[in-house]
Amino acid sequence: MIQLHKVNKYFYKGETREIHALRDINLNIEDGEFSLFSGPSGCGKTTLLNAIGALDNIDSGKIYLDNKEITSLSENEKTQLRLEEIGFVFQAYNLLPVLNVEENIGFIMKLRGFSDKEIQERVLEIANILEIDNKLQSLPNTLSGGQQQRVAVARAVASKPKIILADEPTANLDSKNSHKLITMMKELNEKEKISILFASHDEFIAKSVRRIIKLEDGALV
Amino acid sequence: MFKLILKMAWKNSFLRLSRTILVLIMIAVSMSMMLAIEGLYDGMAENMINKNKRSESGDISIYAKDYRINKEIKHFIKDALPLKREIENIKSVQAVILRVNAEGLASTARKSSFASLNGIDVNAEEKFGKFSEFLHEGEIDVSKRGALVGIELAKTLKLHIGSKIIFSTQDTHGEINSIALKVKGIIQTTNIKLDTSAIFIDIKNMYKLLDITNATASQISIMSEDTQLLELLKQKYPQLDVKSFLELQPMMKMMQDMMFIFNSITFFIVMLVVFVGILGVMYVSILDRVREFGIMRGIGMAYKHIRIQIILESVILAFTGYIFGAIFGILFLLYLGEYGLDLSSFADALESFGYETVLYASIKFSYFTNTFFAIMAASVLSAWLPLRKIKKLNPIEVIKAQI
Repeated sequence: MIQLHKVNKYFYKGETREIHALRDINLNIEDGEFSLFSGPSGCGKTTLLNAIGALDNIDSGKIYLDNKEITSLSENEKTQLRLEEIGFVFQAYNLLPVLNVEENIGFIMKLRGFSDKEIQERVLEIANILEIDNKLQSLPNTLSGGQQQRVAVARAVASKPKIILADEPTANLDSKNSHKLITMMKELNEKEKISILFASHDEFIAKSVRRIIKLEDGALV
Repeated sequence: MFKLILKMAWKNSFLRLSRTILVLIMIAVSMSMMLAIEGLYDGMAENMINKNKRSESGDISIYAKDYRINKEIKHFIKDALPLKREIENIKSVQAVILRVNAEGLASTARKSSFASLNGIDVNAEEKFGKFSEFLHEGEIDVSKRGALVGIELAKTLKLHIGSKIIFSTQDTHGEINSIALKVKGIIQTTNIKLDTSAIFIDIKNMYKLLDITNATASQISIMSEDTQLLELLKQKYPQLDVKSFLELQPMMKMMQDMMFIFNSITFFIVMLVVFVGILGVMYVSILDRVREFGIMRGIGMAYKHIRIQIILESVILAFTGYIFGAIFGILFLLYLGEYGLDLSSFADALESFGYETVLYASIKFSYFTNTFFAIMAASVLSAWLPLRKIKKLNPIEVIKAQI
């Protein structure tokens, strides 16, 4: 479970506070949620997602992951936390160009020290669900945008993190591929019991999620 | 994990092929040039030292105590012959030779010059230092008052094959004695002292000229690779002046040191070029992939793994460059060792310093091992700056920047 308690985040220009990006956010996210942060551009969706993912620091308040406070962790501890507990899906896929699909999917598992056999079995399982099992030996640059994003989802899911944070995962995809991706992610959420949080404007995601968390000017509404 | 990092490093090293090829060419060319220069410097020095040893001092020379200060007959070694036999019995000694030297005046009908008359046993000299290889013109013939003259002395006295000269010197009684000689050969040793003043005659004629016995000699010269021999002889013959080659030829020692400094400077410059080359390529490569590294850190890859990857990329570049550099270097050195570098157009200047006009390279295993370690060190060091960039990298900045 994720808990946010009076989380505030400012963006600075020099030493002056320019934007109050997150305002006193209090939020509980239960295990297995399939939720969306929605709101107009600049409302703080991505900032909130990054704060939950220990990618960005907050200025005040506390964030707990399974009752463990993550805001006070060192950079190395945050890196370790992201590796073990959190999966990321980015708008721009961000696959490693020199590794093939199989190696990209298994990359985080490899970092976490899973055996080659475990990695192979898990990669095949996820690749089957996401229908990219025939592309395992391909390099990312030979895949379509939809296929690359499915590889990115597979990479995030493969190591079974507690939560997946997906920031505008469909922004670079056409509607057909977007629907397919979100449907598959929903299946994964149900099958793997992994919490998935989106930050997106996508209406199809809004229709697919079980909970929508609305933000405006950095505050929950 | 290491296997995966190695694979990523390998693939990334050749991701921008033209850039990689450029740096590989740079490493290979500069390294092979450096090896060729190093080989030529060493070859030049070794050749000069070798000729000096063969023509004059050997590895060790023995004189009577005061002879090198005052080259008079009274300072000759009186019991040189039994001494020679004793030294020949030492196991590590390869060759021993007696020489009788007298300084005096060499004259032709028109010119005269200071000269140093050397009484030698031609056959023994041949065994000792392949004396015939020093022949520049004519033949090695010292019979019937035949003489071999140093090339520069021949020029000074305008001597040719068949020319006649008179050499005058003091004998053992202090009387001025002369000997008429006929030039049978011109000698070029690249030993400046010999080339400018030496006349070689049969040692028996020398005994007669100086009126000394055949047990007497001014110098006992020894060839031996035994590094302990010098100390042994010094202890065994404290009444004599036992000197190593480098003690007798301080110029050679200076030249060796100078070559070492030249080689070190060349080595340093080439390593600097390699360092800057790899650094440049690595830095640009890292800047190209800042987003990739940011994402890697974002998804949980530890900095230590990224550090290993970058160092490996740098080492792969350097190692590949080293392999090509070593291959080209060997080819260069083999060519220069066999055919040499012909600098005949600078012959006068080179010969006046005692250098050969054709320089031959030597090949040593240490060239390749030293270069290998230096290039590897340069590659690891050149990864340091890009690593600082990655260490300071904030994943969130990279992720924000791409949106």
